[in-house]
Amino acid sequence: MDAGPNFDGKLPPLWHYGETEYDLISTKTLGFWLYMLSDALIFAGLFASYGVLDHNMNAAGGPVAAQVVHPVAAFGQTVAVLSSVLAYSLATVALKTGNKAGVMLGIVVALVFAAIFLVLEFADFQTLFAMGATPERSGYLAAFYILVATHGLHMMFGMLWMLVLLPQIWRSGFNTDVVTRMLNLRLFWQFQASVWVCVYVFVYLRDSIQ
Amino acid sequence: MTDPHHPEPDPLAHPEVRQASLGGYVLGYALTVALLGVGLFGTRSHSLPPEPLLVALSILAVFLLLAQAMTFFGLNFSRYHVWKTVSLVLTVPLFILSIGLTVWMFHALDTVTMMPEMPGMSIQPTTLQ
Repeated sequence: MDAGPNFDGKLPPLWHYGETEYDLISTKTLGFWLYMLSDALIFAGLFASYGVLDHNMNAAGGPVAAQVVHPVAAFGQTVAVLSSVLAYSLATVALKTGNKAGVMLGIVVALVFAAIFLVLEFADFQTLFAMGATPERSGYLAAFYILVATHGLHMMFGMLWMLVLLPQIWRSGFNTDVVTRMLNLRLFWQFQASVWVCVYVFVYLRDSIQ
Repeated sequence: MTDPHHPEPDPLAHPEVRQASLGGYVLGYALTVALLGVGLFGTRSHSLPPEPLLVALSILAVFLLLAQAMTFFGLNFSRYHVWKTVSLVLTVPLFILSIGLTVWMFHALDTVTMMPEMPGMSIQPTTLQ
């Protein structure tokens, strides 16, 4: 490409504002989307190992899947995680009109439901631990705990992200940085709903009928 | 970097912000809770034998993931979302290969290498009985 002066003797502009402007929000949300896809591949690996270890032989004489999963109790976790995702999603609906109070209320409600989810999950783990169903008991149990707790860990980090975001919204309002972070968190949070669908169907429901 | 002659565009006008949809989110929520409830009812009522039930549950999960892709993530082929959709479509084969091939490989390994169970040899679960 010729970088010399134009016919009028002026140097060509290096970049244009306007039409060709760098779209910061789209670039960052696409980058975060690609990160979420790689995160989904971590879950794919965990589901693959769960699929392999979900076998009576890998229970090593310990509790088998049908004794470990309780789909009726886990339905409470299903409602909690989805309500949290809905609340956060509705916060981004309030974002469209710049409604700061609505956005913050949505995030706080999302935090409450996420906390309920984690309390239910820990209570479930405690019951299993009390019965001797600990991760080191068998290969099956190790796969079960790692898969379910990895999702729980994502929920914890999402809550941390919300707690960091709330004061930023309060202080800075909806500037490009804060809005981009909110959009990426929406992606992260809705992704937890999709992962939970897989966990609930392929761990809790599938194993309870075997 | 903000150019004083070209003020930063309003972030709330960005298509990623505008895509938020009350109806879409409520629909995605209601579909997911309702269909997972149906799945739970199906497993509790034993209305189907185990094999067809597993197939039905898998179809239900795939349907819900597709519904969430559209209602939550807002995936479509518009100018602003096409690359998300394309990158997801390119990643789906990786999910299928990593999960499907692993499970198939170990299932085949189990069938080929393990001795058939003899009476009295099977490992019985004991802890939670």
